[in-house]
Amino acid sequence: MSAKGVLQLDSFRLAQYSVQVPCFICGNGNSFDSELCRHCQAPMALAHQANIQKVPPQLVAALGSAGAGKTVYLGMLTDMLSQSGGELQLLARGAFSVSLQQMTISALADCEFPDKTPNEPDRWNWIHCQVRSEKKRHPIELIIPDLSGEAILEEIDHPHTYPVIRAFLSKCSGVMILVDAIRLKEGEKDQNFFAMKMISYLCELDDDPKRGWPTRPVGVVYTKADQCEPCFNDAAEFARKHSPGLWQHSQRFSRCRYFAAGVAGACAMQMELGGRRLVPLRVEPRGVIEPFQWLVGELEK
Amino acid sequence: MGKKTHAVFRFGSAILVAVATMIAGFVSGNWSMVALAVTAAVLLGILAQLRYSLGTIPPPHEAAPRDGSTLPRVEAARPAKANSGNRDGNQEDLVRRMLDQGRYALLLRPQIATGLRGDQLQTATSALDIAMGIVPAGDVLLQPWRGDHTEDETHGRRERIVHVEAVYLDRFPVTNAQFQHFVDDGGYAQMSLWEPNIWPAVLDFVDRAGHPGPGFWADGQFAEGMADHPVVGVSWYECAAYARWAGKRLPSDPEWVKAGCWPVLTQGTRPIQRRFPWGDTMDRELARLWSHTARGTIDVRSLSGGVSVGGVYHLIGNVWEWTTSSFGVWDATARRLETLTPMKSIRGGAFDTYFDTQATCQFQSGENPVNRKHNIGFRCALALCDVIATELADNASLEPEGAVIGHSGLAEEVVS
Repeated sequence: MSAKGVLQLDSFRLAQYSVQVPCFICGNGNSFDSELCRHCQAPMALAHQANIQKVPPQLVAALGSAGAGKTVYLGMLTDMLSQSGGELQLLARGAFSVSLQQMTISALADCEFPDKTPNEPDRWNWIHCQVRSEKKRHPIELIIPDLSGEAILEEIDHPHTYPVIRAFLSKCSGVMILVDAIRLKEGEKDQNFFAMKMISYLCELDDDPKRGWPTRPVGVVYTKADQCEPCFNDAAEFARKHSPGLWQHSQRFSRCRYFAAGVAGACAMQMELGGRRLVPLRVEPRGVIEPFQWLVGELEK
Repeated sequence: MGKKTHAVFRFGSAILVAVATMIAGFVSGNWSMVALAVTAAVLLGILAQLRYSLGTIPPPHEAAPRDGSTLPRVEAARPAKANSGNRDGNQEDLVRRMLDQGRYALLLRPQIATGLRGDQLQTATSALDIAMGIVPAGDVLLQPWRGDHTEDETHGRRERIVHVEAVYLDRFPVTNAQFQHFVDDGGYAQMSLWEPNIWPAVLDFVDRAGHPGPGFWADGQFAEGMADHPVVGVSWYECAAYARWAGKRLPSDPEWVKAGCWPVLTQGTRPIQRRFPWGDTMDRELARLWSHTARGTIDVRSLSGGVSVGGVYHLIGNVWEWTTSSFGVWDATARRLETLTPMKSIRGGAFDTYFDTQATCQFQSGENPVNRKHNIGFRCALALCDVIATELADNASLEPEGAVIGHSGLAEEVVS
């Protein structure tokens, strides 16, 4: 009697382990089967996806303080662009790229806001997508992370605390700085100071006059503008009046434009056992696509 | 007997009494009695003429309804031609103007309808039938503000059955063209139309050019090509003032929901209701909701496939609609919502409503009543008891042209 068996020869794995796979964000080496970069915690799937694409992806960031609306904005944006019929079309690369959209839309459909993005980089959602434009022949590949506002602030105040943020912003092709319009309208200065810090940080990262941040596209998006009609009428004028510091600092960028965006038509506080929670009373996106569309157009120039 | 005949008869009677008194005074040689009689005769005559002119002389048959009914009755044909004059001409103009302005509901008020001719009443009734659909009386199930999408253990207990009296509801949202009549008629200056607590804010209800009017108009005019689009950029108070001006009111939450859900009561106690006016399944071709390709409001007479059972258009989509109810007032849940300002309920979703679940007949949202949003409009309602019974009005149409139904001071009623 003899029995046939298959003995898996794993020696090839030794060869794979011997070759370091560079993280797409920070460039440091990782083993081929790492899920997250051991240096910056960025998902290694980005590197694997980028390797099989003919065109290297460009990096775009949405920056803003905690509660500015980055998660809602990005989740809404990806969902809107994922539907057919628009001028821009977004195609997610990899299942992980759909998570942010799924989480945000599920929450908003139930008249709730998505949970706050945790500070730990390994729990952030990343989007790797292809963006097609009706007006352009070739699509572009983009990587957009949903960064935590508190982590961004920590990195700005204490550089190198979050290497992933520093590495990402160094390689970034353009950013959208999200500013809470309601807080600005109510006279809070924090939003203004955060945006000023952000701009200073970016310019410190790379102030090369030809390829540095002064020449990269920066969109300033006033979020929650549905509660602030003047913002929709003229976002630049709103910036000049309500955030003079940001307005002044933004003059350092040669390609900067102001936008207003809103997702929830109205909000209320819901009483719960754990306290009060802000809930959207309805969802009616307005001005969400325009900043992104402008940014994509600028990236292609 | 006509009004004029009455006046002449009374005037003649007064003269006769005065002449008799004069003769008696003359015979008895009492000259002061003669002078008094002459003065009394003149005064009585003037008084009779004045009362006739003001229309406060009710014909004897109007003193009390013959059958004891509280509703005004259609009277037999009378020689209206014989009463024609300046006054009737003014009334004719006024009625025609009100019909042109879409204020037929005012004309059909029992107090006013009694002063209309049969053909005028018929025209007003036809206008009502064309412009408004009936929501029959009955029970309607109101669900929590997030609508039937909400699912939790207490869901059943959070529903509420509300009884609704029969009501007329505008078939279409109020359009820019309709609202223009209100603006042109000086609606923003007629303070009796506005709630006293909002008077200070009325001065701030101006358009882009600073003229009284909806927020997105300019120079008191709507944009070209937008005549049949729903008016937007109006606060709850402006809508309420318009409704009052038109002789109507805003619908309550249960009335609005009943018009869309069209509940059917079977043997059980829980009404069977639709999620959407056309059925239970969302069809984005039947309602104006968010899409990439189209933005903004559309003509209120479009999308006829989305009409409700009662013949009401655009209950879902195009614009949110203000109701009289406060936001959350029908929500029995203990987890109450807190808002910075008291909110009024809005219903139906708009052209930019993203989720199907937020564009159902049950879904309720709220808005600050002073806000003038780009996607909130309104439609009006009218209680059946507030207008002359339709069958009576229909009977009036059978009367010969020129028939007069009672008589009342129309002009005075309208102004008040």
